[in-house]
Amino acid sequence: MKKLISEFHSEHKNFLQRRHFLRTCGMGMGAMALGNLLGCAPSGQQGIAGDLQGVSDMHSHFPGKAKTVIFLHMAGAPSQLELFDYKPVLHKYDGQDCPQELLEGKRFAFIVGTPKMLGPQAEFKQYGQSGSWVSNHLPYFKEVVDDVCFLKGMQTDEFNHAPAQMFMHTGSARPGRPSMGSWLTYGLGSVNENLPGFIVLVSGNSQPSGGKGLWGSGFLPSLYQGVQFRSKGEPVLYVSDPKGMPRDLRKATIDAITEINELQFQEVGDPEILSRVAQYEMAFKMQTTVPEAMDISSEPEYIKELYGIEPGKVSFANNCLLARRLAERGVRFIQLYHRGWDSHGSNEFEALEGGFLERCREVDQPMTALVKDLKQRGMMEDVLVVWGGEFGRTPMRENRGGKVAPFNGRDHHGEAFTMWATGGGIKTGITYGKTDDIGYYPVEGNVHIHDLQATILRQMGMDHEKLTYKFQGRDFRLTDVHGKVVRDILG
Amino acid sequence: MCCYEPFDNSIFCTFHKTLLVKMKIRKIWGISLSLLIIGLVGSSILPGFLTPEVDFNEEIRPILNARCMSCHGGVKKSGGLSLLTREDALQQGESGKNAIVPGNAEESELYKRLIHHDPEERMPLDAPALSEEEASIIKKWINQGANWETHWAFVPIQKPRRKYGLDYYVAKRLKKEKLSHSPEAKPAILARRSSLDLIGLPPTLSQAKALAVNYAPKTYEKWLDSLLANPHFGERWATMWLDLARYGDSQGYQKDKHRNIWQYRDWVIDAFNQDMPFDQFTVEQLAGDLLPNPSEDQLIATAFHRNTMANDEGGTDDEEFRVAAVIDRLNTTFEVFQGITMSCVQCHGHPYDPINHEEFYKAMAFFNNTADRDLASDYPVIQTLSTVQKRQITAIESWMDSLKTIGIDTLSHPDYLAFENELAGIRPSRTPIMKELGGEECRVTHVFDRGNWLVHNEEVQPDLPKLLPEFKAYYSPDRLGLAWWLVSKENPLTARVIVNRFWEQIFGMGLVETLEDFGTQGDTPPNQELLDYLAWQFMHTHNWSIKGLLKEILLSKTYRQQSSVSPSLLEKDPANRLLARGPRFRLSAEQVRDQALAVGGLLSSKMYGPSVMPPQPEGVWNVIRHVMRWRAATDENRFRRALYTYWRRSSPYPSLMTFDVPSREFCISRRIRTNTPLQALTTLNDTVYMEAAQGLARFMWEQKALSVEERLIHGYERALYDSPSQEKLDLLKACYEHAVQHFSTHPEDAKEIVYLFPDPTPEKAAYTTAANVLINLDEFINKP
Repeated sequence: MKKLISEFHSEHKNFLQRRHFLRTCGMGMGAMALGNLLGCAPSGQQGIAGDLQGVSDMHSHFPGKAKTVIFLHMAGAPSQLELFDYKPVLHKYDGQDCPQELLEGKRFAFIVGTPKMLGPQAEFKQYGQSGSWVSNHLPYFKEVVDDVCFLKGMQTDEFNHAPAQMFMHTGSARPGRPSMGSWLTYGLGSVNENLPGFIVLVSGNSQPSGGKGLWGSGFLPSLYQGVQFRSKGEPVLYVSDPKGMPRDLRKATIDAITEINELQFQEVGDPEILSRVAQYEMAFKMQTTVPEAMDISSEPEYIKELYGIEPGKVSFANNCLLARRLAERGVRFIQLYHRGWDSHGSNEFEALEGGFLERCREVDQPMTALVKDLKQRGMMEDVLVVWGGEFGRTPMRENRGGKVAPFNGRDHHGEAFTMWATGGGIKTGITYGKTDDIGYYPVEGNVHIHDLQATILRQMGMDHEKLTYKFQGRDFRLTDVHGKVVRDILG
Repeated sequence: MCCYEPFDNSIFCTFHKTLLVKMKIRKIWGISLSLLIIGLVGSSILPGFLTPEVDFNEEIRPILNARCMSCHGGVKKSGGLSLLTREDALQQGESGKNAIVPGNAEESELYKRLIHHDPEERMPLDAPALSEEEASIIKKWINQGANWETHWAFVPIQKPRRKYGLDYYVAKRLKKEKLSHSPEAKPAILARRSSLDLIGLPPTLSQAKALAVNYAPKTYEKWLDSLLANPHFGERWATMWLDLARYGDSQGYQKDKHRNIWQYRDWVIDAFNQDMPFDQFTVEQLAGDLLPNPSEDQLIATAFHRNTMANDEGGTDDEEFRVAAVIDRLNTTFEVFQGITMSCVQCHGHPYDPINHEEFYKAMAFFNNTADRDLASDYPVIQTLSTVQKRQITAIESWMDSLKTIGIDTLSHPDYLAFENELAGIRPSRTPIMKELGGEECRVTHVFDRGNWLVHNEEVQPDLPKLLPEFKAYYSPDRLGLAWWLVSKENPLTARVIVNRFWEQIFGMGLVETLEDFGTQGDTPPNQELLDYLAWQFMHTHNWSIKGLLKEILLSKTYRQQSSVSPSLLEKDPANRLLARGPRFRLSAEQVRDQALAVGGLLSSKMYGPSVMPPQPEGVWNVIRHVMRWRAATDENRFRRALYTYWRRSSPYPSLMTFDVPSREFCISRRIRTNTPLQALTTLNDTVYMEAAQGLARFMWEQKALSVEERLIHGYERALYDSPSQEKLDLLKACYEHAVQHFSTHPEDAKEIVYLFPDPTPEKAAYTTAANVLINLDEFINKP
């Protein structure tokens, strides 16, 4: 009987898959299962049948360079002018009134009237063969400048945190759209049957202001939503057995559930039952694989030191190391948030001479370690790493309520900021894009968020114009009706 | 000469000629050929009949939509050609050539280009050519006059020809596929199924057994009546409606602060319980404030459209988010009541349905005249006492009155102080409502340039797209007029769309699968006759009574079928769209939780009131630094029905999210059901489910006179309303015995497993383990 069921199961899988390709995804699929997470993108390769295991790239639009994205989101938006975008001219204007032409027709989050200009609050030097500028706040990162690509003309449409974060991850400022990771798992499927394809790790003082919608699946089935792995408490909600339930008893209960369900299948014939059987098996496996993947204590000492991890704590360093471990296990999209970059100058936590420096110390070593570690393991081709905030900061000093702030700080600025990327076929040792003398506007190589998204999708093998899903009568996509792949940074 | 309607002249004039031909061919064929021929004598459509007419909706529109419209639709119009309407398509393109010359395919540029040998000229460009069959059907259609037909959903609903029940329409469709209904399900299964469907909870075991013993059409009908009268009915159906109303207890966006709007949720529960006719239900929610002397309840009903999000983040423009809310009201109204997707028309003409850009803003004008303006206070609000509070006050007052009548001084009564305190504790609560602006305050609506709220084009007045039934002059040009227009029996969409929503709740899939889209890009129903029959019944027989509609559905043979499926039927109809078997699908998130607590005897029956916070894992709500805290209830509120759970849009209750509840930032018509390991982890390990297991186990361990096997059978029956087969029982027993063995040697583990009840013996812990198995069975998580 077992054999019969397993035969039926595999036939049904094939059948489901055929049906899946023949129909629009999400319509007529019935319930969907993570165990047979299929790529959904309309790829023109209709009617493909076969086993589902390890066919992750089958549905891509063209061969992708990368298999995994690690997105390091600096929530709150770090100042590019204190990290990478060196503007010596700004020293000259420090303390002077901002020229009116920079203010006309602009909307700011907090600046009112005429603010003063603020010179760079850092010392800069050039490093590496590429001669990239890095400030003294990132003493580790200067070592890997030749291994990354700087994007200095980044632009976004939004100037408030929640909408700008939404925009960065979902392509729309309003909540309710699927996140990039959801789009990619929807499009490409999952490689690892025992872990979700889209995992989120959060550090800093709380969740990012955009909320859980940042990794929500929007109108895509909830199967594709990001699953938050927590480095404190249960790594995944409800993954631990109830207290008093040992593993072997849990195994016995799942065996009983499985066998009774299989009898039920014989009576009722609903193939969804077999799908549920598979989900319970996977749940049982996840109870082992998740804690195993999350266990950074098993890493060798030199790796722990490289990242500067703090076992038992919630830290960006721990999360960077976890990101590498999850990438090794074939997770598609790993999103890290580190919060606390909103340096307005209104208090010490939000000051360029205060909280900002702490944030730099928290991320500098681990993000450098991640680049080095991926490189030394030969994972650079497979893993695309993207670093940045949801927007940048103004060359003007923030003057909330028309008053001088007690600390140094800058307001939100969406028209020019810096991000960096590496791996997954991105050219390294280059700087793409350039801003004007005070870092207010890009003068060349501007990259809009939708362009960045199109490029990330491209490197994962997806055409951003073809990865669509119909909702409310319209074919939606991550990049809305915009986005151009930034070909100049592709290797 | 003939009683059949299509020959009637008045109808002849009303409808499109080709539609009529189609109706004649399709409907009359089955009746009598002689009738048909008599009917056609003297009619001008005889030639069209003799060469079978191409069916535009079935044969042409799908080709145009799939192969042409993305370049020649309402948005792009490449080469100056749009194929959205006949009027558009007959115009000359930029080339000066006629795309379509009715009656002459050879002269029609459209046809010439389809079969062109030069790939640079051949359409569709850069895409595979149409098949020979497709091209020839287009040729035939042009030669027959290139007639457009109204999309099926916009055609008026015809009175059903005879008084057949819904089973007739199902059977008729099944016969076409050489299929037939499945046998009836066991009465005990029907008891569980119908109870879960109507009140969202399982019945009590004794009730179900009583029905099984006395099962007959009359007793089953009485059973349904009692479920329909059960106050939990309103809770179950409110859950469905709150997704559409995008109800949440928070304002949304970044701060996502608390919003006090639960009285609206309670209004929905009451409306369903009172079986408020659906037309009234619609009018009160959309425009209760515009009714003459609106009652408090009618004002609270308008909170339907105050569930839009509000943005309180620093630096945001209130007008921007006010406009976003108004547009959301428009989109939601049309999605909920008309199955029309308006949101794309905000920026440009509709790509697939004939609605243009300006029409969107005319429709928006209905909603763009209210006082709310994205304020953190949710202004305007109404301060009211809830139904429960009013009842409390009445009870105390009548107590005092009764004392007075028998001459007792209330002040000296020992209970007086307690009652006085209770009265003092009764405070009104606020609910955001709709308030229309008048006189000089009236807002002016403009077309936004490509949807951008900052760039205003011409001013517009409230009106509706031409595609829809006329918005006649006797409707007032405001929300109230719009609401009455929606529930006019001439509107073909409302009843179809709403009936389809209820059908989907019962059968797991709508008769039109795309609940949210009845437009040309939506699903075509495999059994439109059935849908139209139900829509007609809903309006005319049940007079918009939801209970009447549901009762008719649940009484049907179609509903009462077994849900088991043979491999051949599965192959033929995997999704059960033809209804040759009963519905079987996973319960909703709310039902999964409520059912587990109910069979565990833990579910609180308390209704109404502010939303509650049952335990959720630590740290889940750590979204934003300074705002709200999740304070887990320690009382009865731990075990309230899921619909009362505090709904924070940025972080909905995690175990419900795992079972596909939406965030409710926007109107959601369908929850796409998923089946994931995270669901398994939830029902296996979440505290709520372990507590439910303890509760269910108690019913087993308390049956002291019974053997272990009998107790396990009892537990099985309590959960599933059916007896286990010997094989299943053996499996359950083996697991139980494994557990007894473990807990006997590890009594400390037994204490961790059984903590709601005293004296945690190894047996109790083992029954709890068995109950944990039961509430994780597929049969338990599915509707039977």
